[in-house]
Amino acid sequence: MIANPYQPLTATITEIIDESPTIKSFVVVPRQPFKFATGQFIELTLPGQGEAPFTPSSSPSVTEKMEVTIMKAGRVTGLLHECQTGQPVGIRGPMGKGYPVDDFAGKQVYIVGGGVGLAPIRSLLLTLIDRIGDFERVVCRFGARSPEDFIYKPALFGSWKQIQGLDITLTVDKANGNWSGNVGVVTTILKRDDVDISNAVAVVCGPPIMMKFATLKLLDHGFAPNRIYLSMEKNMSCGIGKCGHCMIGKYYACKDGPVFTFEQIQNYPNIWE
Amino acid sequence: METVFISQLKALLDAVAQQMVVFTPTEVGDSFTYARYTHDGEVKAVLNPVRTCSPAKEFLFPMREIAAVFPEAISPEEVQPFAVFGLKDCDLKSIQILDRVFYEEEFHDPFYISRREKMFLISSDCYDPKDTCCCTLFEGRVFPLKGFDLNVSKIKDGYLVEAGSTEGKMFLHRNERLFADAPSAARAERDRNRQQAQQQLEQINARYKLDRKVEEIVLESQDSPVFDQVATGCVECQSCTRICPTCHCFYLFDTQRENAFGKMKVWDSCVRQDFARVAGGENPRKILGDRTKHRLMHKFVYFLERYGIHMCVGCGRCVDSCAGEMDFRDVLVRLNRELVNIKGRS
Repeated sequence: MIANPYQPLTATITEIIDESPTIKSFVVVPRQPFKFATGQFIELTLPGQGEAPFTPSSSPSVTEKMEVTIMKAGRVTGLLHECQTGQPVGIRGPMGKGYPVDDFAGKQVYIVGGGVGLAPIRSLLLTLIDRIGDFERVVCRFGARSPEDFIYKPALFGSWKQIQGLDITLTVDKANGNWSGNVGVVTTILKRDDVDISNAVAVVCGPPIMMKFATLKLLDHGFAPNRIYLSMEKNMSCGIGKCGHCMIGKYYACKDGPVFTFEQIQNYPNIWE
Repeated sequence: METVFISQLKALLDAVAQQMVVFTPTEVGDSFTYARYTHDGEVKAVLNPVRTCSPAKEFLFPMREIAAVFPEAISPEEVQPFAVFGLKDCDLKSIQILDRVFYEEEFHDPFYISRREKMFLISSDCYDPKDTCCCTLFEGRVFPLKGFDLNVSKIKDGYLVEAGSTEGKMFLHRNERLFADAPSAARAERDRNRQQAQQQLEQINARYKLDRKVEEIVLESQDSPVFDQVATGCVECQSCTRICPTCHCFYLFDTQRENAFGKMKVWDSCVRQDFARVAGGENPRKILGDRTKHRLMHKFVYFLERYGIHMCVGCGRCVDSCAGEMDFRDVLVRLNRELVNIKGRS
């Protein structure tokens, strides 16, 4: 008997963390340990209601539970935001190809993120931090609409600042209160000398409009299209490259991605929409 | 390959029906669809001159099925062997295309596979192609060379039956008493019929001949206004994708049952406006012309790049069913002409 790829694994929401006015993180404990590689995604089912794709934001080294950070955007995410701890859910996956972390070894890793796009990036960062010595530097440039809109505030404003080899700069579209950092969209803090481009890879994850302009800026700075890794948000449904909703040209974002190099997809129409 | 003669189609189908359920073409208006064969004559043994109007994918990938039940999984219903009679070369090719998708690498679809492995395929030659048939544009034929268990060819006094697989050969041996040897005159008659039908089909499609490979034409027409122009006639009924024997897009949706939850798998269509839309509102193909283009790109370019074959068998069902009277052959010819004109000018 072939395993049924549409069958969810039962899991329970055990903790809910308010990250921002529109974003919550859910700690999910599956009935049996669940392995994934950073950047891979899961389909999270709210039983009887629907299913949506999310990249876990936790470290793949933890298999007995995972964190999923969810922005209220559509019907299923709206219902998930109303859930309480103890809520049973289903998990399918892991799906797709994640970040090629081993290929990043010896290089400078330049990570550009915005909004809820920090979710996959958090999982990547936790993976990189575990072996931070393997990388020349890890340089992060993150943006949010306002200071309140940053997710993972305790790490961003606390623990990650202490890590040697990790350089994080933040920006907000609109400042308020005692924000002393940069004001402007994330591309305003991407500087040509942030990293040594001859030995760097870039990782971009965020809202499509931000990904578009960040990618253009990186190209302008001299990044090769095959050194820019993009986490593509598409309408992944079956997760196994059959149902057709997430096609980007000949690729299925669910199976061939969700992480693509810009080189792979640059010639296909409307990739940022 | 082993070929034998039988005078009555009914005797053949009755023999198959003794072993398994048989679906056979039945007339609906001026077309054919499938019905369960009954030996009492309610559903007669009729040979369809041309492909049915409904696609063979229905037998393997039904319009709607339960893909999962949870929290406690239930084992899927065990599929009993079944036969489908009246498949044509285009139908067999469509199944080969679906096989590529649903058997792909590590991504097997257990529902498709459980049916596919129990399916006994009885194909037949086309002897009166329709105006919309166009398999010859895509290296198709009016008779199959492979992919069948049995193939039936109509001749004046009866039928020739050819085995195309071990299962087909076993069937012929088990039912030896039904068959006579196929004389060489009968084979010659079959070959003449085939040649005649093939010529008829090539004539029908003579005006759709393309100057270059279809994949090159579609790919190089990425920026053509033709897609938006033909889309103005589309009413988004989606029948082209539903009746297409190779279209296999579907969506999963969740249902609640008394003590359990279900996940349903239902046919979907890339013609639908929100097909590729994400929760945040972005949609790479919100323009109908872009969806028209995507469908042709998937059929002739993307699928070819992925699997090495086109995702169109030239059955013409989409042309028959289109409420907007769009004929993809005309679209290809327009794109072809446009490219030739551009080349001519430069």
